[in-house]
Amino acid sequence: MKINLSINGINKEFKTSPGDSLLKTLRSEGYFGVKHGCETGECGACTILLDGKLVNGCLTSAAQANGKSIETIEAVGEHPEQGWKSTDGLHPIQQSFVESGAIQCGFCTPGMVLVAKELLARNPDPTEEEVRDVLSGVLCRCTGYVKPVQAILHAAAVLRGEAQPGEMISGEIWSQLFTAPETDIPSDGDAPTAVRVLPKVVIVPETEKWKTVGKSEPKLDAVKLVQGKPAFTADIEKRDMLYAKVLYSPVAHANITEIDASKARALEGVAAVLTHKDIPRVVYSTAGQSDPIPGPLDMFSLDNKVRYVGDRVAFVAAETAEIAEQALKLIEVEYEELPAIIDLGDALDNEIKIHDEPEFVDFADSDASRNLAAEIRIDIGDVEAGFAEADHIFEGEYEVPKVQQAHIEPHVVVTYWDEDDRMVIRTSTQVPFHARRILAPVLGLPIKRIRVVKPRIGGGFGNKQEVLIEDVAGHLTIATGRPVLFEYTREEEFTASRARHPMRIKLKTGVKNDGTITANAMYALSNTGAYGCHALTVTGNTGHKAMAMYVGDGKYREKPNIQFNADIVYTNTMPAGAYRGYGVPQGYWPVERQMERIAHKLGLDPIEFRLKNALREGELQPFSTAWSEGREPSPETIETNGLEECVRQGKAAIGWDQKYSDENWQIVPDKPWLRKGVGVAMVMQGTAIPYLDMGGASIKMNDDGSFNVLVGATDLGTGSDTVLGQMAAEVLGVPLEDMLVYSSDTDFTPFDVGAYASSTTYISGAAVVKAAQQVAERIMVRAAMILNDKGEGLEVEPGEILLADRKATSLDGRSVSFNEIGHHSLHHSNQEQIMGIGSYVSPVAPPPFGAQFAEVTVDIETGAITVDKLVMAVDSGIIVNPVTASGQIEGGMVQALGYAVSEEMVYNEKGELREKDLRDYHIFHSHEMPEMETIFVETFEPSHPFGVKAVAEIPMDGVAPAVANAIMHASGADLSEIPATPERVWRALNIISLGNE
Amino acid sequence: MIKEYYRPETIEEALELLARETPLTRPMAGGTELNSPSNDQFDVVDLQSLGLDKIELKGSNIKIGAMATLQDLLSVSDLPSALSEAIHHEATYNLRQSATAAGTLVSATGRSAFATALLALDAQLVMMPNEEKLALGELLPLRSELLKGKLITEILIPGNVKLAYQYVSRSPADLPIVCVAVAAWSSGRTRIVLGGYGTAPIMVVDGKDENDVLSAVGHAYMQAEDEWASAEYRVEIAKTLTKRCLYLVK
Repeated sequence: MKINLSINGINKEFKTSPGDSLLKTLRSEGYFGVKHGCETGECGACTILLDGKLVNGCLTSAAQANGKSIETIEAVGEHPEQGWKSTDGLHPIQQSFVESGAIQCGFCTPGMVLVAKELLARNPDPTEEEVRDVLSGVLCRCTGYVKPVQAILHAAAVLRGEAQPGEMISGEIWSQLFTAPETDIPSDGDAPTAVRVLPKVVIVPETEKWKTVGKSEPKLDAVKLVQGKPAFTADIEKRDMLYAKVLYSPVAHANITEIDASKARALEGVAAVLTHKDIPRVVYSTAGQSDPIPGPLDMFSLDNKVRYVGDRVAFVAAETAEIAEQALKLIEVEYEELPAIIDLGDALDNEIKIHDEPEFVDFADSDASRNLAAEIRIDIGDVEAGFAEADHIFEGEYEVPKVQQAHIEPHVVVTYWDEDDRMVIRTSTQVPFHARRILAPVLGLPIKRIRVVKPRIGGGFGNKQEVLIEDVAGHLTIATGRPVLFEYTREEEFTASRARHPMRIKLKTGVKNDGTITANAMYALSNTGAYGCHALTVTGNTGHKAMAMYVGDGKYREKPNIQFNADIVYTNTMPAGAYRGYGVPQGYWPVERQMERIAHKLGLDPIEFRLKNALREGELQPFSTAWSEGREPSPETIETNGLEECVRQGKAAIGWDQKYSDENWQIVPDKPWLRKGVGVAMVMQGTAIPYLDMGGASIKMNDDGSFNVLVGATDLGTGSDTVLGQMAAEVLGVPLEDMLVYSSDTDFTPFDVGAYASSTTYISGAAVVKAAQQVAERIMVRAAMILNDKGEGLEVEPGEILLADRKATSLDGRSVSFNEIGHHSLHHSNQEQIMGIGSYVSPVAPPPFGAQFAEVTVDIETGAITVDKLVMAVDSGIIVNPVTASGQIEGGMVQALGYAVSEEMVYNEKGELREKDLRDYHIFHSHEMPEMETIFVETFEPSHPFGVKAVAEIPMDGVAPAVANAIMHASGADLSEIPATPERVWRALNIISLGNE
Repeated sequence: MIKEYYRPETIEEALELLARETPLTRPMAGGTELNSPSNDQFDVVDLQSLGLDKIELKGSNIKIGAMATLQDLLSVSDLPSALSEAIHHEATYNLRQSATAAGTLVSATGRSAFATALLALDAQLVMMPNEEKLALGELLPLRSELLKGKLITEILIPGNVKLAYQYVSRSPADLPIVCVAVAAWSSGRTRIVLGGYGTAPIMVVDGKDENDVLSAVGHAYMQAEDEWASAEYRVEIAKTLTKRCLYLVK
């Protein structure tokens, strides 16, 4: 049918099918600022203005819009500097988003900007509540909404003429937020809008002399993302591009006895159908990790057996996605159903064997005959001796659920042959270099004939550390010779991607009467699902981080008794994989619940009890002596630990001393069924994997004194390009705007393991610093040459030159601009390319430490809980960029909040999943958020040139136990399992009332 | 999947299309349901040009055009605050711009906050042809049969009734596991509706007799067990929320 649309003021006639959505129509016309995040209207990534009303493009058909006018992000603002043409620049709303750190991955940003535009057009002075309500239709998984909400409020103030652009992260207010150590930080309850985006930072003296590191610079990619520029994987057009779809298994465990694709192949518009009969059988692992993969090789692109509901059966490429869908229905498959294992408790030594393929490759202690993907046995000291010396033994059993990363941009890849017949894989990945290496044998190509390009990523959170769908498009490009786009639907994300490992955990702790922990032993039964990707390393981390936190006191502190055993088992469910936190949140749930129970039982102050036993500066990370992801361990000493200051600051922010012991505070006037409580958890993570994680960087100087920084590090929305640029800029004495940071492309950028294990700022940052130092040396040599050639003073030695303010300055004050140096080096004399390369691998993984606090209200009649406030005070070493770093903490806390109260993937006895969309799988919206506060307690980590440690994963670790400890404080309900659903809390409350009877 | 799209200018044209035996033809309101992925194939009759989006105060009643959006409803002055809360609970801002009052009721499951509230208010529907009146409570269990070839044009709700809405969910904006709406008329008539379970909310009490109300509520959810909650839990919580609602409407 023919329709007329006015898009951004231009009338156009379109030919469309009656079922085509506006999302599809607009994207096919090149309006790539309209994003695909789901198909059912929950995420709002496809938000547009239709006759001035905010609607979701996915749930509005093009036919419905016939005759109407549409506004997309493409109509809002433009780059302020376009050569000789002057423009009005960005819209004030966009400017405010850029300045405030409201943009992380930027995938939901176009929708948010349009939301703000609609709101402010009819209500120039909205309250925060009104902003949050209007923003409720756009889901964000990165920011926790704090900064987008503040950005909109600030933009409103600017539009009203009451505020100036740029006030968000500059000026007086900025410096007031930094406080020296040992100073109590005032509460910011009445803080004006302009400062709410900035965290409090307890600074160390080293940072004071820096100009760029430590400053809240706007993200380098913010300007393009806020305009909805075509920066993401699917935002390209290729002639003759095909659309891929995958046929998935409807049963949990079966042999494919017959598969006939002839009818599908005969369908008009189908370019290829591939089954296990059509492609080579190459065993591999989808885990995007360094070689050798620390886990079993147990998967094939397509197999003659299916191992979970959602396992792959066949691939189709067709001229349209609709034809590909139709073709799937024409593939005839006969399944010989096999009995399945759904519950992880049934897996070990079951007569049902999930992996009986002869190609299975063991790593370390996997044993397919026992359904065992990996086994871990770690003994530090002697736990039995420790238990014998204890006055009390506490034992608990705990359970944590499978949860989804739920990045708003689904997995998406485009593959094509380039003009050299090399396979280009443009993909939304955290691990471009691992992807290239892992895909080479699977596709039958040498590594050198594959180029992986990582554009902007719309969030990953570990799920894109998986080489999950690149092979599908790659096989289909090989089969057809044509470009192929493969994009997951939201349902596929839930049924056919990866998730956090669910675990059943036993914890046994020995304690003396005075609260000294004498021994701590954990056993984790971990469910890897149908394939063993990340099986060993995720569960290893559960012990490695969570069980290292409390070593005991006195002599136990010197020689702790810790045991960590785990069995990681196969079941016929979707595989687990990497998810931010990587096993550690699973470990802190039992550890921090058990610490709370012990403190209660022994009448100890829960905070003092924890600090008495917590790991301290100068001590060995106990696990560093025993385990390193299946490699040789190497002892590591904790050089920096700001935990006690974190506790002090966090207590002040949550009002612990006023609330914890005040029974009156716990009561809500006129609502006798409500009780309030506060809870705490203390956490540590790691920073990269020692002797393994490596990042490379190269930097070259341009004519005008700007620099290209090429990094393999994979910015997936976190802002790593920006903080890497800040470190290079600091070394070279230029503002960040002179840094052109590019990541990542396996043809152009140096190697980097990728974005995982909280490594980028630390590892890739050190590589960037090394490269920048080389460049700085060459600049100094060149500057001395120029100054000496001018002969206007004493001879200058390169070592005496200072680099600052885009100039090289000698001790006697003569200077050469970088512009002059750039031109001189490339054109004028003794020409050379000033450049540097660096790579870095660390012998240590210095842990960040943090204290997390929660305040909750419990309905003691229904079990419903409301989380009112979350606080995290964290020692992540030096904070390179407070706004982006606090965005990491805020976003992480909200994901962790979902883990605590609402997120869960539940299978029925047939292995079918309950949650297949973002309605049933509930992640937090803007209008239901608790108040959140982030405090950074800086320490200077000596192993890094700028003293940094990790920030990305640690906020995931302690929210769930802090919330549950607050629930216990409020109501007595003592939970062993998350999420803390109303019924679980209600049952825990019933146990108490039964006990009282 | 939508095969053909029609946008009639008159109700008669719309009814003519909807009366066809084949192909399967569905009325399209905001499209938030029919534009979702589906394996069914059907034609749609888009109702946007029929002028059905007006909201009028008619005496003490509110007359809601079938095509009025949930957001339109929120702008009605003196809308009972509990109804406003239920609408906010039903859908986020973007969806409220498209989702219509009638479309939301027609596609509601038991977990619909809006349908629960409107059932408590004893909403009456006007259907074409013949301006036939039907109570929402009669429609909900038999939607596919009663709506065949018909078109909802108006929804009538009383404006002078006290309404309370209470729910329990995993987080404030999550779908309800149990929700209760109670409407109280000045005559003493009280309607209690339970939601959060099954294919539609259910009316448990409609009358002036306050005796045994809670046992009726408990009885109604005796079998209300699904993958989201046990019946035991729902029974207890439905009673608790009913008590709170009754207190609020007093």
